[in-house]
Amino acid sequence: LLRYCPPLCMFIMSVCVLQLLHMSVFSQSFSPCGRYLAAGNNYGEIALFSLSAALSPDATVQSQKPVLTFTAHEGPVFTLISSDCHLLSAGNGEISAWSWTELIKKVTVSLNTQQPGKQHDLIIPEINAMIINPRDNSLVVGGGDNNVHILDLEHGVFKSVLQGHSDYIHCVSVREREADILSGSEDGAVRIWDSRMDQSVHCIEVYKYESCARPQYGKWISCVTTDSDWMLCGGGPSLSLWHLRSLSPTSIFPLTGCQRQAAFHQDMILAVGDGPFVSHCLLGGEVKAQIPCTPQSLNTLQLNTNSTEHRVLTAGGSSDHIEVFTNLSYRAFSLSF
Amino acid sequence: MGAVTDDEVIRKRLLIDGDGAGDDRRINVLLKSFTKWCNSPGTPEEGFTQYQRMLGILAQCESSMGKTLMVYDMNLREMENYEKIYTNIEQNITSAHDKIAECKKEIQRAKRIRKNRQEYDALAKVIQQHPDRHETLKQLEALDKELMQLSHIKENVDAKLELRKKQFHVLLSTIQELQQTLENDEKSDNDDSQESPFLSVLFCKFSFGSTVFSKQHFKPSILHYVVL
Repeated sequence: LLRYCPPLCMFIMSVCVLQLLHMSVFSQSFSPCGRYLAAGNNYGEIALFSLSAALSPDATVQSQKPVLTFTAHEGPVFTLISSDCHLLSAGNGEISAWSWTELIKKVTVSLNTQQPGKQHDLIIPEINAMIINPRDNSLVVGGGDNNVHILDLEHGVFKSVLQGHSDYIHCVSVREREADILSGSEDGAVRIWDSRMDQSVHCIEVYKYESCARPQYGKWISCVTTDSDWMLCGGGPSLSLWHLRSLSPTSIFPLTGCQRQAAFHQDMILAVGDGPFVSHCLLGGEVKAQIPCTPQSLNTLQLNTNSTEHRVLTAGGSSDHIEVFTNLSYRAFSLSF
Repeated sequence: MGAVTDDEVIRKRLLIDGDGAGDDRRINVLLKSFTKWCNSPGTPEEGFTQYQRMLGILAQCESSMGKTLMVYDMNLREMENYEKIYTNIEQNITSAHDKIAECKKEIQRAKRIRKNRQEYDALAKVIQQHPDRHETLKQLEALDKELMQLSHIKENVDAKLELRKKQFHVLLSTIQELQQTLENDEKSDNDDSQESPFLSVLFCKFSFGSTVFSKQHFKPSILHYVVL
């Protein structure tokens, strides 16, 4: 084929190359054993990478490629999350569950598919964020219909809906000690919900605080993460650290661009967003370091806490490469789709 | 041809190297010379020199044997030394591992402490922005005092106002009564006499007072006198 139809194969190759060029990684999740990384991209594919192969001393270029790639959804896979034995993926309106053991054996049969909201709606909203609430083994889902849905993982039915936002939800987080759910939305508000009463307890409009607001970027909140007492949120407004008991902003981080994901790690804060780097910041508000990466902007950042010998940080963004950091101070290598 | 040369070669090799090499050769040569010497029919001097030569060779053998024994001892001792060093290094390695684990724990603790300190600092910054509690309490007290003083003043003013009102009321009622009596008097002797100018001035004064302080007692009759 290669010899007899050169234009055709060139076309196919260029299509593949173009596909790779326009690929964005939106979500990542580590397996419960900590040896595999699943990454979802904008073409609806999920790729499984073997960390033990990529981190071993005799790793080759081939071990930085996925061991398995399959199409999980029609639209982009915006969010991935792992429970004890399942990988949950969500894209345009449906949540699919995959068994990790089956995936490791390269069997890609979806176990269960759910759709939040009313079944008879014509427009199925996209799902932007999911997180597991370990207290009552439920899945908190936030998406395009401005509501937060709670799915009971044991029975697979939707338990409740939290309404209150006036625009779509970008991100959700769970406050472990107090059984609270936090959601950040396009309407600029971070709402704190009590998961037992299903009511909104607080509503913080971040853009109304002068110290955080950046009207040139807008008021949307694209990342929310919490450490029970403290909360990090950012997006249009600057990334800021909030003390949740007093609901007051304590530190503002002077990062240019909008941050898409942030995480607490030991005594530091890691943030990714616009710009080809991972920012390391201190709780006091200063930016300690910015570690450069290949993609021009990063969408997702994950720390592997499930395994002690593969403790890596991975970051993915607007490229087909996923950066792997074994030591937080420099980029070790990249996995690619 | 090959076989003949082979035989030749073998014979030559045996002749040259038949005794082996080094010490082995010396012992073999010694043995051969000893048997030759025992069986030799030569003169006693030759025998004596041969005997001396053999003693020399024997001494050589003994010395080389002594050397090898010493080398053997030395090797044994080196081995012991190396064993000791090996165990020492092993211990060092394990203790270094332990120290590394300890240090890692320390670092975790230190990071936690640092995180707590930073959280404390962040909260302290926010708290500093709010004014001091004592100051605010003092301000509140001062305001309370001022409030009480002002309310006292207000009460006093109110009481004064009441008093003045009552006084004027008394005055006005007396004026009214006098007016009435004067009117009655006027009516009774309206046919006989004119009012005196003095009385009209008095009426004007009273009417001015009454219009200022009690408009409700205003009678149309008074207006006539004011116009006058």
